[in-house]
This record gives sequence, C-alpha cells and structure tokens, in this order.
Amino acid sequence: MVFSSWKKVGLALLLAASVSGSAMAATDVLVLARAEDPPTADPGVEISNSGYTLIYAAYEHLVAYKGGTTEVEPELAESWSVDATNLVWTIKLAAGHKFDDGSPVDAAAVKFSFDRLLKLKAGPSDSFPVLQEVQVIDPMTVKFILSAPFAPFLSTLAVSGAAIVNPKVMEHEVDADMAKAWLAEHTAGSGPYKIASWERNQSIVLDRNTHFSGPAPSLRQVIIRVMGEVSARRLQLVNGDADIIEQVPVDQAEALKKEPAIVVESNPSLYVSYVYLNNKRPPLDDVRVRQAIAYAVDYKGIVDGIMQGQAEQMRGAVPDGMWGHDPSGFQYSYDIEKAKSLLKEAGQSNIHLTYTFSQADTSWEPVGLALQASLAEIGIKLDLQAVADTTKREMAAKGNYDLAPGAWTPDFADPYMFMNYWFDPARMGGPGNRAFYDNAKVTDLVREAASIVDQPKREKLYLEAQTLSTQDAPYLYLIQKNDIFARRAAVEGYVYNPMLIQVYNFAKMSKKD
Amino acid sequence: MTIARIIVPRFILLFFVVFGVAIITFTISHLIPGDPARMIAGDRASAETLENVRRDLGLDRPVTDQFVIYVRNLVHGDLGTSLRTRRPVAADIATFLPATLELGCISLLLAVLIGVPLGVFSAIYKDGPIDQIARTISVCGISMPVFWFGMVVILLFYAKLQILPGSGRLAMEFVSPQRVTGFFLIDTLLEGRFDAFLSAVRHLILPTFVLAFANLGVITRQIRASMLDVLQEDYIRTARASGLRRRAIIFNHALRNALIPSITLLGLAMGDLLYGAVLTETIFAWPGMGTYVVTSIQTLDFPAIMGFTVVASIGYVLINLLIDLAYMLADPQIREVG
Repeated sequence: MVFSSWKKVGLALLLAASVSGSAMAATDVLVLARAEDPPTADPGVEISNSGYTLIYAAYEHLVAYKGGTTEVEPELAESWSVDATNLVWTIKLAAGHKFDDGSPVDAAAVKFSFDRLLKLKAGPSDSFPVLQEVQVIDPMTVKFILSAPFAPFLSTLAVSGAAIVNPKVMEHEVDADMAKAWLAEHTAGSGPYKIASWERNQSIVLDRNTHFSGPAPSLRQVIIRVMGEVSARRLQLVNGDADIIEQVPVDQAEALKKEPAIVVESNPSLYVSYVYLNNKRPPLDDVRVRQAIAYAVDYKGIVDGIMQGQAEQMRGAVPDGMWGHDPSGFQYSYDIEKAKSLLKEAGQSNIHLTYTFSQADTSWEPVGLALQASLAEIGIKLDLQAVADTTKREMAAKGNYDLAPGAWTPDFADPYMFMNYWFDPARMGGPGNRAFYDNAKVTDLVREAASIVDQPKREKLYLEAQTLSTQDAPYLYLIQKNDIFARRAAVEGYVYNPMLIQVYNFAKMSKKD
Repeated sequence: MTIARIIVPRFILLFFVVFGVAIITFTISHLIPGDPARMIAGDRASAETLENVRRDLGLDRPVTDQFVIYVRNLVHGDLGTSLRTRRPVAADIATFLPATLELGCISLLLAVLIGVPLGVFSAIYKDGPIDQIARTISVCGISMPVFWFGMVVILLFYAKLQILPGSGRLAMEFVSPQRVTGFFLIDTLLEGRFDAFLSAVRHLILPTFVLAFANLGVITRQIRASMLDVLQEDYIRTARASGLRRRAIIFNHALRNALIPSITLLGLAMGDLLYGAVLTETIFAWPGMGTYVVTSIQTLDFPAIMGFTVVASIGYVLINLLIDLAYMLADPQIREVG
C-alpha cells in the first residue's frame, strides 16, 4: 500500500519535472520583483513608496517632476498663477485627459480629489497643512485657497496623495468610507495604466489604460511580483523571469555588476540616514558634548566600510540634489583631539549613553558598533539597545532615548521637508524634530522661509538656518544613500528621479528582444 | 457513544481556548510599545492626523470597549478589518490559509510516505547499508536549516538546471483558479485545466520537498526507534516462533504498534509545519500565512495578528482532537477505557 502510493507520487514528480523550466516574459510585458506587497493603492491613504509605484502608474497629478529633476512641470494643469497675497492659486486644466472609464478630467474631479484627501486625513493630507478650500471656477479652472502663505505649494501638487481621482469611485462607497475599501485594491485615474488584478502577496497586474491621453505605452502589461527573499529575486533576474528587482543590498549589487545582461542602477538619492541626539537629556543638552560626539564619528569609515561607497557624507540637513543644499557648508569631520578638548571644556567625564536602534535599516547596527568604538576613544561609553522597530519609533517620538538612528526622505521637493520638519519646535517628537531641538533664531528663519514664495530669498534664509543648526549639532549627519536596484539590460527608457524612489516611468519604458 | 464523549468536551474546551487566546493576544497587542496609528499614517504624521486615524480605527476608545467590540464581532465570525490592507481579516485569512495548508499537507504526506518506510527498513536492517543511509538522511533533515536548504535547492533546480520554477504557486501565464477549496491542485482540476494543474504541481515540488525534509528526519528517527523496541517484544518472538511470515509479522504486528507513539509526533509535526512554512514561504515567495503574519507583526496590524492567532488556536485544538481519535482507532485498549 505504502509503496504503491509512493511510486505514484514519484511518477507525478517526474512527469511534472519533464516540462521545460523558465520562460522569459514577452517583450511587451515587464516583470518587477519586489520584497513586499503594497499595503494599498489609495492615494488618500497610502504613505509607502511601494504603494506609490501603483499610484503614479495609474493616476496623473496637476504637476509632475520634470525628467530626473526635482522641478515640476505641468501634467493635468496647463498653467497656474498666484495672487499677491500668496494665498490664492488659480490653476487652468489642460484639455484631453481622460479617466480609465473615458470620462474627462475636469475641475470637479480636482475638487473631489482634494476634498476626499482632506476629509480622510489619513497621512498623505499632511502635505497640505494650510489648504482651506478648492473651488470650481469653470469646468476647466480651479482655485486653491490657503489659510497662510505656503511656499512649497506647487511642489506638493506632485505628491502621491495629490493624485486626481475619478469622482465616479463614489459608486463603490460602503459605510461612508469615501470608497476607501474599493480604492485600496483598484485604481480610477487618468494615468497610463490601471490595476487589472491583484493577488495579495503574489502579484499585481497593470494593464494599459486605453483612454490615456499620451502616446500608447510600449509595455502592454506590467507585472509586479512579491518575493520576500533577496537571493530569490536575484535568481529571477539572472534567469530572465524578472526584468527589474528592488531592494538590492550593497554586497549583492557588487556581485550583480559582473553579470553582462544586468545593469545595476545606483543613483544618488535624497534618502538620508542620521542619528538623533536627544537635546533635552543631559549631558546631551550641552552643545559642546554634542559637538564632541559629532567630531568623534568616523564618517569616511561609515561611507567606505559599511556602505561600500554607495553613499556620501551628508553636508548639512538639506541633501545634495535639492535646492537649498549648501555644498560649501560646514561639516564635521573625524577629529579626536578636538572632540576631547570640547568634552574637557564642558567639564564632562564618565559619560554613559545608549544607542537605541532596530533592524529596519540594515546599516543601523554596524553604524552603532562604529559609534561605540569611536566614542570609546573620547571616553564615552555607548551601550547598544536593539528593539523592535515599532518600539524604536515610539521611543524616538516620545523622546525616550539618548541616541537613535533614523532615516528620512522628502515627500515633496522642497528644503521645507528637512528644515521645517527637523528644526521647528512645533514638530517635536514623531512629526520630525526628533532631537527635540529648540533654537529661537533657527525657528524664526525656517518659519519665515516657509511663508514667502520668492525662491532666492527662501534659499538665503534656509542656508543661514542650516549653518546655525549644524553648529548646534542636534543630529549626527551621517550619510546620503544611493538608491540601488537592478534591471535587465534589455529594459530601456528608465529615467531616475530622486523624488520617486520605487516609482517607474513605465509608460516610456520598453524592452528589447 | 465513546467518540461523542471525546468530541463534545473538546468543543466546549475550544470555546474557552479561543476566548483565552483572544484575551491574551489582545492584552499583549496593547502592551507592546508602538502606535498602530503612527504605522498607518506615517512616522511623521501630525498630531491631528494621528488623532483622526485613531478615531477612524476605533483606537481612541477605552481598551475595555475595544475588547468587548472585538469579542462581539468575533462571535459573529467577523475578525475585523486589517489596519494595513483595509481588507477584512477573515478575507485575508481565507486567501492565505489555503496556500499554507496546501503546502503543509502535501509536505506532511511526503514526509510520512518517505519517512515511515525509511524508518521501518532502517530498523529491520539495523546497521546495514539501508540503515546507514536512512540515518544520514534523518540527521541531515533534522540539522539542516530550512532556509539554507531552500536556497541550495532553488540554486540547483531553478538557477542551474532550470527544470523547476523557484517561486510562486502558478506560472505567470495562468490565471489563478476560481476559489473553491483554495488548493490549486484541486481547483485547477475542477476547472478542467490540466496545464494549470501541472504548473501548480511543478511549483509545489521544491517548497514541499524542502519543508518535508525537516519533518522526514524526525519521523524516520521516531519510527526506527519504536520499531526497534517493538521488534524485541515477546509477542513478536512468539509470532516468529509460530512460523508466521516475516512480512506479516512486520506489517501486521510490529508496524501497527510502532505507529502509535508516532501519532503524537505527527500532531507536533503539523504544528511545526506552520513555523517552517514562514521560512519556506519567504524563500519560495509562496503567498501563504507565513508572510502575512510576519508583515502584520511588523506593522502592528492588531486585528490581523489576533485573527490569525484565533484561527491558529482553533486549528491546534482540532489537531489535538484528531490525534486522540487516531489513538482510539489505532489502539483498542484506549477505545475501551475512553
């Protein structure tokens, strides 16, 4: 009995194995393999880059980032103007854009989308802190009324949450949820693609939106496959079952570079990794102690050793690649003698601190070890405390730590995303000022810079605030990381934009034979 | 009558177990430092947004109210809505559980079909070449990390030989079958799509083999040990002396008795499968419960974590019940006493 069924299983296995192995996808189908399933595809709710991949493929925005830059250009908008008070923005819509059901994108749809975003107030709406009202002037004109001047306004219109949604989604509303349940897994935009099917934790298929106003995309279909293990993703890429793979660690990137059919895309990103110093806790409330620590860090060692060169040292809060970055700004360097004398000046000895980290970023543990070694040289004992990521976030938000590593990426392309979040005492804790930093002069400068529209003037204010804050050393500015992913060389037309990590310009991409 | 006497108390017990598990998971979920609202609205959400999200999810209510609501919904079979995916947790579990069960059941079957004969022959031909091979296999199975073994197997069969797929449940050209049982092997056949069925089989080979291998070692070792014990019993000697055929002695007398201690082991193995499945599912990108639970824990998705725990506890109670019933069938002595 036992043996005969065993034989049957064996036969079935052999039979199945005899059918040939992997088959490459057709040239009009692109397969993207990534580590996790996007939580939702709802622009009003979604805050992860993994969800942005879907949102930017399926929706258009009033404005979009121009090529690989952080400047915006018109997309659904044709033109815009702002009144003298900087409070009223009038936007004219371009004709010819259609949602995936064929209905036109008009002023009512724009109003609907922003009303929905503000009503949901679920995270993405935080990019519009002073948006009071959206008015329909005529079918192709809308007015945005702000309660206070907000310099980055135009830039915020390009964020994922500002996607223009077809008002007809309300047909799918249940329990007054503004169609949240439906939009979590479906799309209703005027972008080049729409979600055709979504099998959770397995794959998402994007099909062409036949009503898309631009030129028909060369890729008929985009398939996003969920594959948790990085080695598995790598094998899929090498075998040709995947065309793009994401979240490639630096060591794997080095190995992939040797494959002739693979291109490793490593581009400077706006993703920074830094360490919060708790400015409220002694002895870190003494600026000299913070400066001493900043001088004791081996920045080059972190860039070369831990990041294997796939990063650069930060210089000030605003990263390289965004306006407001100060290439000649003051930057701490490894100087043990200076660090020691600062500590002596502060009259501090026997300092014992804790570095609270999680595994959310693989570099945080080695960075902690490097800091531990560096600080030992100036007589500071650093304990490493590993906690779950949710715990670490909560502890940082509540100021319940000495040193804690953090990562930051901007939502929209404006120095506001760094300066006003990191240094304004009104955002202490979770919202951004995680060092609990408070310098009245800096506060005035960043608030003023946010309220005027004149960019050269704003830049001047931000540069001054940056110099002052860097000297106060509220954070340790460590690294600005490269964004790494790998694609098959046959994939063409990809344009990297530092604002759009994990977002691809699928409509303009193609595949060679 | 006796079967009913075993089953009825178990179902009463089941109620208490589920209720207890619900209390414990609920308490632990709320004691873990971390704010689910922050996980959903984003780290840098403003205080106002956080408040709004909390209200939206009912997290602003007193903890006792939250628990009452949870239990009330649970009684109606409603496991709540996942904070992360905004889908009903019951729907998520219905999506992912069959994939894990399909993987787990076939692995267990494979482990038993290979492990039991291997253990038997290993005992019969003790210290012979078959025994040596069987012991090597079982030591490898027990000690080899699932993760590592999975990678080796993918490297060999998918990357080098290219004869088997290395991830997923079905080749990309196939549409997933309409959900009837959730088992692709059955559902594809119900739709009469033999090519899709074959693809599902091919996708199952590597992950089930890897998952089976770990259990195979334990089963082989257990069967071998109890077979050796049984073969030394007096009644076997008596049977031999009375001239019964060797085959009949081994299969009718020895194996039957050797299997009884293994029933408990099978129950444990079923529990292990879920744990092993987390790793196997990650390596083979298998869309099952493993990945779902891990992501839910990482994002503090309380309803998802609790829904899973409740379903798993029901599963454990049922497995235990099955084991007891199996004992009854296998051992007449227990039947009489029970």
